[in-house]
Amino acid sequence: MDATTAMYVSQGMHGVAYGMVLFLLASGLTLILGMMGVFNLAHTCFFMLSAYFGYQTIHWTGSYWLALLVAPILTALFGILMERFLLKKVHAYGPIAELILTLGVSMIILDGVKVVWGTQSLPLSPPQSMQGLVDIMGLQYPVYRLFLIVLSLFLLLVMSIILYKTRLGMVVRAAVSDAEMVNALGINVPLVFMTVFGIGTWMAGVAGVAIAPILTVSPGLSHQMGMDAFIVVIVGGFGSLGGAFLVSLICGLLSSYGIQFFPQYAAILIFVFMAVVLTIKPEGLFGEKES
Amino acid sequence: MKKSTRLTVWAIGLIVFALFPKFFGIYYSNIIVTFAVWALFAVSLNMMLGFTGLLSFGHAMYFGTGAYGTALALTHMDGLPLIPAVLSGGVASMVLAICIAPLVVRVSGTAFAMLHLAFAQFMFVLALKLRDITGGEDGLGGFDIPPLQIKGLFSVDMADPLCFFYFAIAVIVIALCCLWFVTKTPFGQIMVGTRDNAKRIDYLGFRVSHTKAIVYIISAAAAGVAGSVSVLHQNLVSANDAYGMMISVFPIMMAMVGGARSFFGPIYGAAFFAMLEEFTTRYTDHFELILGVVLVVFIMYWPLGFAGMIMKLKYKWLTWKQSRKSQGSAS
Repeated sequence: MDATTAMYVSQGMHGVAYGMVLFLLASGLTLILGMMGVFNLAHTCFFMLSAYFGYQTIHWTGSYWLALLVAPILTALFGILMERFLLKKVHAYGPIAELILTLGVSMIILDGVKVVWGTQSLPLSPPQSMQGLVDIMGLQYPVYRLFLIVLSLFLLLVMSIILYKTRLGMVVRAAVSDAEMVNALGINVPLVFMTVFGIGTWMAGVAGVAIAPILTVSPGLSHQMGMDAFIVVIVGGFGSLGGAFLVSLICGLLSSYGIQFFPQYAAILIFVFMAVVLTIKPEGLFGEKES
Repeated sequence: MKKSTRLTVWAIGLIVFALFPKFFGIYYSNIIVTFAVWALFAVSLNMMLGFTGLLSFGHAMYFGTGAYGTALALTHMDGLPLIPAVLSGGVASMVLAICIAPLVVRVSGTAFAMLHLAFAQFMFVLALKLRDITGGEDGLGGFDIPPLQIKGLFSVDMADPLCFFYFAIAVIVIALCCLWFVTKTPFGQIMVGTRDNAKRIDYLGFRVSHTKAIVYIISAAAAGVAGSVSVLHQNLVSANDAYGMMISVFPIMMAMVGGARSFFGPIYGAAFFAMLEEFTTRYTDHFELILGVVLVVFIMYWPLGFAGMIMKLKYKWLTWKQSRKSQGSAS
């Protein structure tokens, strides 16, 4: 492989790695949105919070794998608490009140993190076994980014098996289309909602710990990747997992090739893409039209 | 309220504003100008949020466009009088709103809110990157603020903070009166109707998306005027102060805390936030944390805000009076 092709391929793989983590983040968001109709603005803050938990775990125990296990679970607990004690009570006031509530929670997390860990960005190194480069047909590529791709694909696979092949997945899909009817059939829908919310925030948590070695842990993390995640959900179509997957990949590739070709305007590219899609289809690529 | 009491309230308000700088000095007068700017901005947002049921997470885009509009007009056009400078901000926002409205009125609810979040972020990135026009991170500043004058008749120097105080208050009160007037017209009733039951308004023969578009454009123009007064006050505009995420968030909080269903609610909210900021920033850097807690508490326990509380108290007082009256007539 000559140098130019190697550069293109490695940029492309960077893009894919970023896109996959973005999808981990966005899929939790879109799952919660599709299920409960709540656009959880605090989602990206949970993502950042998990990166901080991961940092703290590594600080105490020194094990990255433990952090990857513990931090997302802790984050999911926070998510469940928020759903139980805050979101549920506001549900009666309609979607706008819920949105504003999640906004309030996101502000609390964002500033709370600054209180506990300060504003400087904290380094988080990948585990020893993942630090090297791997040789793929003459292309030197960081192992850790490959690991990110594999991890995301694995989780995606597990999620889709749960969602499409198990009873829980069937209940979830049914509750997405008509929660009231499922409740009337004797299924504990509030419990299902709580589980889905927990799984959604857990995925955000995994994404947070997974991306932390590449981006470093800082309060800006939630804005940095959060905006992209929101765009993925908007452009992919509200509540559509397939749409989120496709658009995550496009976003990842756009940002990595964008930085290579137009470094000045890379940040705008994604928005231009969004504007083009929404002008043609305001409900998103795979979204259903609102009645 | 009787007409005479209402007039007295207005008169007292006018006198308080007129005498305010005399008694409290220029520091607090500047706070009042900032408060007034936020009040107009929050009311303009509430035209959409409270009256039409459209939540936008990117209203900063119109505030910022107004601010940049005025700043650019003053930088590039020599001898531009004051009033057209303010109007240029409003018009800039209006033009932007006219461009975006056809796209966004087709959606509502969460989609509407998130679309605006993305658009505002887009404007933010544009303002940062188009360095030749907007000055990037440094922003635009140091332009001369023209005096308020009619050639040969009179001229008031706007660089004097005291004169600017009166001018800013006057502009904002006029803008607020215009918005208030809009809510009282039949069109205002259709607005509220689209919030409560869009389908029914559609069946009654009104066009829902046109209504939304008109409210949207009016609201954008008012936000633009707020931005433009703010830039005249600060003599500086930068991407973060114009299009920042928090600039979109503050008016939503003001509207929610003050009471989104009432026209004056956001003004109470703006006053509350101005006071909160003044007190908390003396003791802590973590203003946003406190804001978040306040917001969550209000949404959970008083979703109608201060205005809702006042209404409730008034209702209680009236029923209490009524019950006393009926008891009195019975005995």
